[in-house]
Amino acid sequence: MLSSDLCSRVLSRALRGGGTFAEIFYEDTRSFGMTLRSGKIENAAVSRPRGAGIRIYDGLRSIYVYTCDVTQQGLLRAADRAAAAVTDTRGTGRDVILHEKTFTDMHPVKAPVLGVDAQRRADVLRAADSAARAVSGRITQVSCGLLAREQHVLIANSEGLYTGDTRTYTRLTCAAIASDGAENQTGTDSPGALMGFELFESRVDPEKSGQKAAKTAVTMLDAPYVQAGDMPVVIAGGFGGVIFHEACGHSLEATSVEPGMSEFAGKLGEQIAAPCVTAIDDGTMPNEWGSENIDDEGTPTTRLVLIENGILKNYMIDRLNGLKMGMAPTGSGRRESYAYAPTSRMRNTFIAAGHDDEDEMIRTMGDGLYAAQMGGGSVNPATGEFNFAVQEGYLVKDGRIVSPVRGASLIGRGSEILMRIDRVGREMTMGQGMCGSRSGSVPTNVGQPTIRVSRLTVGGK
Amino acid sequence: MEKSFENQMNAFADRALAAAQAAGISPAEATYSLSESFSVRVRAQKLEDYKVSDRFQLTLRGCWHGRIGTAKTQAMDEESLDLLIQGVKESAELIETDEQDEILPPDAHYDAVCNYSDALDAVTAEDKIALAMRIDDRLCAADARITPDDTVVSTAGEVFCLRNTLGLHLSHSSNMIYAYASCLAREGEAASTGFKLLWGYAMEDVSPFDVADGCVKDALDKLGAGRLPSGARRVVIRNNAMADLLSTFSGVFSADNAQKGLSLLAGKEGTAIASPAVTLVDDPLMPWGMGSCPFDREGAATMSKNVIDGGVLRTLLHNRKTAKKAGVQTTGNAAGAGTVAPSNLYIAPGQAPLDDLLARMGDGLLITEVSGLHAGANPISGDFSLLSRGFEIANGQIQRAVEQFTVAGNFFTLLQEIEGVGSDLLFEGSPIGSPSVAVKAMSIAGE
Repeated sequence: MLSSDLCSRVLSRALRGGGTFAEIFYEDTRSFGMTLRSGKIENAAVSRPRGAGIRIYDGLRSIYVYTCDVTQQGLLRAADRAAAAVTDTRGTGRDVILHEKTFTDMHPVKAPVLGVDAQRRADVLRAADSAARAVSGRITQVSCGLLAREQHVLIANSEGLYTGDTRTYTRLTCAAIASDGAENQTGTDSPGALMGFELFESRVDPEKSGQKAAKTAVTMLDAPYVQAGDMPVVIAGGFGGVIFHEACGHSLEATSVEPGMSEFAGKLGEQIAAPCVTAIDDGTMPNEWGSENIDDEGTPTTRLVLIENGILKNYMIDRLNGLKMGMAPTGSGRRESYAYAPTSRMRNTFIAAGHDDEDEMIRTMGDGLYAAQMGGGSVNPATGEFNFAVQEGYLVKDGRIVSPVRGASLIGRGSEILMRIDRVGREMTMGQGMCGSRSGSVPTNVGQPTIRVSRLTVGGK
Repeated sequence: MEKSFENQMNAFADRALAAAQAAGISPAEATYSLSESFSVRVRAQKLEDYKVSDRFQLTLRGCWHGRIGTAKTQAMDEESLDLLIQGVKESAELIETDEQDEILPPDAHYDAVCNYSDALDAVTAEDKIALAMRIDDRLCAADARITPDDTVVSTAGEVFCLRNTLGLHLSHSSNMIYAYASCLAREGEAASTGFKLLWGYAMEDVSPFDVADGCVKDALDKLGAGRLPSGARRVVIRNNAMADLLSTFSGVFSADNAQKGLSLLAGKEGTAIASPAVTLVDDPLMPWGMGSCPFDREGAATMSKNVIDGGVLRTLLHNRKTAKKAGVQTTGNAAGAGTVAPSNLYIAPGQAPLDDLLARMGDGLLITEVSGLHAGANPISGDFSLLSRGFEIANGQIQRAVEQFTVAGNFFTLLQEIEGVGSDLLFEGSPIGSPSVAVKAMSIAGE
């Protein structure tokens, strides 16, 4: 780690030609990845990403220089390169004095993966693999992966902050392929958390994960293609929350709100969703995949109500966009690594539990689609247009689930779907994902109870 | 490139190789790179972001107890040497696959290919900022309906090296510049976004007029788009959209995927998998190609080849391990970590300009954008269902812009149903390119 002395020297150097704020983000990370395919461990490698990023605010513009040369000489050179780009030379030169800041660890870790015996790590993958293969003779391939990351970060800035944290992530990925010789179908399950190897004692059973992936693949193999059209759609909880993440969450990030490129810009206090919808972005949930103690700007993480009973309450705001918007940061400044300047990002984002009965939703929906498992999706924040893949879908006729269907995708606009949610179930569950945006790929949870949307366009064949 | 850093990096690679040998890891190989980048983002006539970077990365592979292990680092210090040595050993002890990666002496001959411009290296930060400003100025002045979004100008350079304890010592430098702009168009209730990217190896390759005008045209053409009824339609997929599809499904041409049951092209060599109009080329020796390099990640010499020749699958893409298993020669497509990847991959262009493809189609749909590829396309099954945009075509003429529909199909079926290939081959900031293609019929889900 970098000493507070060195940090204050680098920050002072960065500001010597002007600029209103300087920050250093240093990380030294150990990550481990292992994959098992065709029943055999195929890859296993440890890696050590390390580097530092120096950021200066030149008025309201961001200057960012990052380097893997973290010697004193390398950091001072990076500070000089950043300082050379400063145009607003008012307030030139000041010495930065740092004060160490500590906080309570909300997400304690018991067993960092790299400290666990290598064969025990491999056994997790073997268990998931055999369980997946045992589901059906038509499972032709299973790929399982174990990903672990221990990110040591240090953040210091010209306001005197000097702090750090260690984030420990562990995740299992299972992908199964079912084949009838001519066609392949896939199923996946990828549970993870902000914790160590104890994940497999407290939260995740590798066998169940493997089985879940395999069952989806086999079910889809027998499924006919969905008939396209507009219809009511019931979306199951857990990873189903990706719909809110993509269709609404991204449009509530300051990154799209501040420049007015969001359909929800300027709508605080207005009704943007049906009254049954309350949505939250929460970085404080103990050991959850998208949780943190502090964000990547050193701001303590928060629990943020985004929408309350349909009314827009808050945006997710990072430091720089907060300055531009005249609003306080919400602990939402995140980045993939030192190679990215931070910006506003989601953490654990979900639609809160409601009061409706899951069976009733389907019973009273008439003809439509039940999306039991969602795949990923994407959205254009400026227009709100979204697109989601349905990994495991079922045709509903006359309020009854009649058969699985494949190839479905859900398309529409965020603002429309939010208003059309007419049922919200009682139990909220979450799923894990990697969310990609301007500051790279960061771990986020998506979540919701089972919900119903009165009308959505279902794409298919 | 910073010469002193490059020297430091070569010295560290030598130390890592020596440490490996001293620890009984032999043979050993270091793959390493130094990449530098510069990027500015302008919006509303103000410079918003200024980003500069240098990044080092080293992967050590080595043979320990008969198996090849791997470990990586971005830090050139003692702690990293320990991590690399311990990491390679642990990795080798864990790996169970029968087929082995190999570490081999250099090939007898490597062809030369250039995608590095000295002149580009000499372009100053001020010039790049001025270019971004010129693009943004032109966007601001373009049309009352247009609000400029981001304009980005970026340069990147890399020196990529391979050394091993069997006498291999290779190095390749590449660089590039790209500029893109995005904007929003509004008229009444209607809104659309526009985008244009140009790239190359000199300032002249990224004309501010072409970037700005292309961006504005893209947005205005899409403004007021309507919806489509569901049903099967004849389509022309425009070059950029077809390149996106090809890129998403490029993994099906990997022999590594095929051997693991992850590609439906396994065992299909020598058979017709596409219409006779389709020839698919992988050319790592293309002059000024973004993916050009005379050697692959295993140090094997690279070569140009037709993957599909007149519809017939000639070869999958191989590294040494997959080639050995298949009883063929490597195609020089090793991508590291035992995987395979294309270099510059493209559908060979035909004779017809896009207008001719549309005229021949008569009535149908021109698809100009497909989105959500990471979610709506499945490389294993080949199925895709993608949110798309485009234009309705009648009598070969554009009638109106259309949006909010999905195009569904299967990549393997699509290859077989390509009726015509355009002359407009495009690499849009990617080493995977395509001309526009005319397709018999595709399934559209709209209103």
